[in-house]
Amino acid sequence: MRFDFQALPKLSGRARPIIDVVVEGLDFAPQACLLDTGASEVRMGAHVAELVGLELDTADVTGVVVGGLQTTGRAARVQLTLRQSAHTWFSTVYFCDPWPWAFGLLGLAGLDPFLTIVDTYEEWVELQPLAR
Amino acid sequence: MQASIQNPVTVAKRQFMFGRDDVERAMAGQSPEPIASHYVVIGEGRFPPKQVIIALTGLDRADFTTHHARRILKGLGFAVGRLDEGRLDDETRARARERRTRHREDLASAGAGGARALGRPSAQELEPFIGKWVATRGPHVLIAADHPSTVVDWLAEHAQQADSMFRVPETEQQASGLAPL
Repeated sequence: MRFDFQALPKLSGRARPIIDVVVEGLDFAPQACLLDTGASEVRMGAHVAELVGLELDTADVTGVVVGGLQTTGRAARVQLTLRQSAHTWFSTVYFCDPWPWAFGLLGLAGLDPFLTIVDTYEEWVELQPLAR
Repeated sequence: MQASIQNPVTVAKRQFMFGRDDVERAMAGQSPEPIASHYVVIGEGRFPPKQVIIALTGLDRADFTTHHARRILKGLGFAVGRLDEGRLDDETRARARERRTRHREDLASAGAGGARALGRPSAQELEPFIGKWVATRGPHVLIAADHPSTVVDWLAEHAQQADSMFRVPETEQQASGLAPL
């Protein structure tokens, strides 16, 4: 499955490698996640958990610093699906509050089931599901 | 304070009086319905022309045509457009078209659930929505709001399928996130 990079207004940087991921229960609103091979985990704003009705009261809580900001992540094992793909997998997602960033972060833990190809010249990223 | 200028407008053989200010007032705080093709720009939002005329007149949507509604609003000085026109120059549009075609071919050859034109909104398309949560489909913004729950509620209410949902970043840091462990 191939995803175009997302260009952003008024920012000097390049278009970003964004992958749209459906969190179970929110099929009509895939969440844009920044492909972040420098991160180990999958992180999203706590609002996503609220939108899908996930109860996180008993979830494991960890503190993490993202971009210099301390935030708190509550872990939940959720089913994820690539947008417009039948490929579904389970991953631990840390739903974080506060989450002032524009996108979720798709770290290495979210990329386990895929061969990931990034073409920064043509500005696309492709995830090829692996059978293992 | 200067009085708002009102113009006589005939819709469905009935005459109404309204002007730009009336239109802006009527649409303030309203969420746009899904845009099939034509739209009118009011404030920061893009609305289907029929939605605007219905809000102003109370008429039924079957009583008049989209083209008539569009003509009226254009006559009041509002920018109008069509989703397939875009705001890109010819070269950028040609490049985007080429990329979409290639993308479609790639998807078809990969058998990845059908060849649907994907693509994403351009930076220009997103610019009016900096700081807001958006749901996008293909190169267009479906809905923009201050809160993600408003976006999701709108999608559910109007039975719309988005390709992507995110906040249009205001700063470099919001866009990058940086890499936590």
